[in-house]
Amino acid sequence: MAEHSEITASLRAFQEGYNKNKRLKKMNADWDRIVLVQANDIPSTHTLILRKGELTIQEGPPEKPDLKIISDSETLADMFYGDITPTQPYLNGTLKVLGTEDDIVRLDFISLMIWGE
Amino acid sequence: MSLKKVLTLRTIVATSAGLTLATSTFVAAIQVAGFLAGNAAWLAILTSGLLCFFAAACFSELNGQLPSAAGIRLYFGRAFNDNLALVISLFYMTVVMGIVGAESFILARVLNYVIPTIPPLVWIIVMFVIAAWLNIRGVKIAGNFQDIITYGLMLSIIVLAVLAFEKINFRLENLTAVGGPGNLVQAVALGIFLFVGFEWVTPLAEESTDAKLISKGMLIAVGLLSIVYAVFAVAVTSTVPKEALKHSVIPHLLFAESLLGKTGVIWMTIICLGASITTFNAGLLSVSRFLYASAREHVLPTCLSKVSLKYFTPWTAILTVFFVGLVISIIVLITKRYLIFLNMAAAMESLIYVLAGLAVIKLRQKTPATQRPYIIPGGLILPGLTVVVFVVLMAAVLITDKIAGLCLIAGLFLSWVYVINGVPVLKEKYRKKHPVRRRRPAKVEVEEQ
Repeated sequence: MAEHSEITASLRAFQEGYNKNKRLKKMNADWDRIVLVQANDIPSTHTLILRKGELTIQEGPPEKPDLKIISDSETLADMFYGDITPTQPYLNGTLKVLGTEDDIVRLDFISLMIWGE
Repeated sequence: MSLKKVLTLRTIVATSAGLTLATSTFVAAIQVAGFLAGNAAWLAILTSGLLCFFAAACFSELNGQLPSAAGIRLYFGRAFNDNLALVISLFYMTVVMGIVGAESFILARVLNYVIPTIPPLVWIIVMFVIAAWLNIRGVKIAGNFQDIITYGLMLSIIVLAVLAFEKINFRLENLTAVGGPGNLVQAVALGIFLFVGFEWVTPLAEESTDAKLISKGMLIAVGLLSIVYAVFAVAVTSTVPKEALKHSVIPHLLFAESLLGKTGVIWMTIICLGASITTFNAGLLSVSRFLYASAREHVLPTCLSKVSLKYFTPWTAILTVFFVGLVISIIVLITKRYLIFLNMAAAMESLIYVLAGLAVIKLRQKTPATQRPYIIPGGLILPGLTVVVFVVLMAAVLITDKIAGLCLIAGLFLSWVYVINGVPVLKEKYRKKHPVRRRRPAKVEVEEQ
C-alpha cells in the first residue's frame, strides 16, 4: 500500500514530465479539464488541473471534475511515475477512469507521450 | 464530486437500440420470416427479444459489478482467465468487422437500386472512406443526434407498418402458423442477430454516474426493438409475396416500393442510411479502440497504438479496420454470401451470451461479497437458463449454416493459437526492447532516508 505522500510525489513527477514536453503543452492548449485522482484503499485525493496547456496539481478533491481516476494507491503511484502503463490495470479492472471516451483516450495518450510505451 | 457531463436514460436507450438497428437487421428480420410457414415472424422475433432480456440481465449484473469500457474483456477475464477473455474478444472484433462488411454490402445494394448508374463497389468505397475519415478526425455522433436518429427510425418503421396494415386490410390470420418446432428454433436463432450489439452500450458506464441507468437502458432498448422488428416483419410478409422476398438482398426496399412506389423507396433509403450510420460508425469506432488498447497492452503489434498528434485518435488502428472491412465487403460483393456473416454474428453473439451467463455464476461464487448495484432475481435460475438457451440457439445456427459454423470454429481456433503462441512473442519482444525501469523510489530507501 502506497502512502499519500508517494502519490503526491508521483503526480509531481508526472507534472514535471508533462511541463518539460512543449509539444504536449501546445497540443493540449485547448483541452481544459479538471481531473480527480482518488485512491480507494487510503484517504487520498488530488486534483489535476489542465488549463491552457499548463498542468497544475492540488491536494484534495475538486467540486465538479471532468474525469475521475480511481484505483488503489500502489497502482496510482506506479502509474503516475510511468513504471506501469495505464492499460493493464484498466483492462483488469483495478483502474477505473470515469469520463467521456475521448477524454480517456487523450489521458492515455498524454501518459504515452510522457513515459513512452 | 459528480462528473460535469453525464448521460441520460433517453440517450442510453437510443445508443443501445441505435447500435443494433441496421440495414442488415431489416434483411435478417425478413429472413426470420422465411423460416416460418405462416405469418408468424413476430412470434420468433418476440421470443428472440425475450431471450435477449435474459442476456441483458446478465450484462446488467456484470456491468454493475465491473463498470468499465473494457466490457467482456474484463468480465470474462475476471470470471475465467485472461487468455480466454482475449481469445473471445479478438475473434468477436473480427466478427464485428464481418458485420460491417455485410452491412456496407447491403447498403450499397440499396443505394445502387436507387441510383443504378453508380455500382455498389463505388458506394462501398465511398462509405468506408467517409467513415474512416470521420473516425480519424474524431467526429462523433452527439447524444442528441443519436436520439433523433434512433427514435425517428423506430417511429418511421412503425408508421410504414401501419400504412401497410391499412392498405392490405390486415386480418389476424396465419399469425401462429410456424410450420413445426424446428422451424421456430431456427427462426429464433437467426432472430438473435436482430439484437446484436445492444450490450455495446456498456462502455458508456464510464460516462454515466448511475450504473443502474445502463441496465435499465439496455432492457428498454431490447423491448422497443422487439416490438419494432416484429411489427415490421409482419407488415413486410403480409404485403410482398414470400417468394419474392426470399432471394432478395433488398426485401425491405421491395416492401416500401410496393407500398408507396417511388416515395416508399426514398423513405426506406433514408431509413437505411440512418440505421447504417450508427452501426457503421460504432463498428469502426469500437474495433479501432479495441485494437489500440490491445496494442498498448502488447497483445497486438505496437504499430496499432499510434495516435494522431492533431486529432488524438488511433489512426493506424482506424486504417487497419478500414482496409480489413473493405476487403470483407469486396469478398461479400463478389460471393454474395452475406448471410454467412449474419449467421456467424448470431452464433458468436449467442456464444457471448452463454459466457455472460457463466460469468455471472462464476463471479457470484468467486467474489460473493463484492457489492453489486443490480443482482438478477431468482438466484442462478436466469443465468443458468441463459446458458442453456443460447447453447441451443448457437447449435441451431451452426446446423442451419454449416459454412458459418466452420468459419466460427476455425476463427476461434486461430484466435486461440494466436493468443497462446503470438502474444507471448510480442510481450517478450517488448520486454527486451524496454528493460524494466523503476522511477518510483523504493520504499526501503525512503525509510532509510
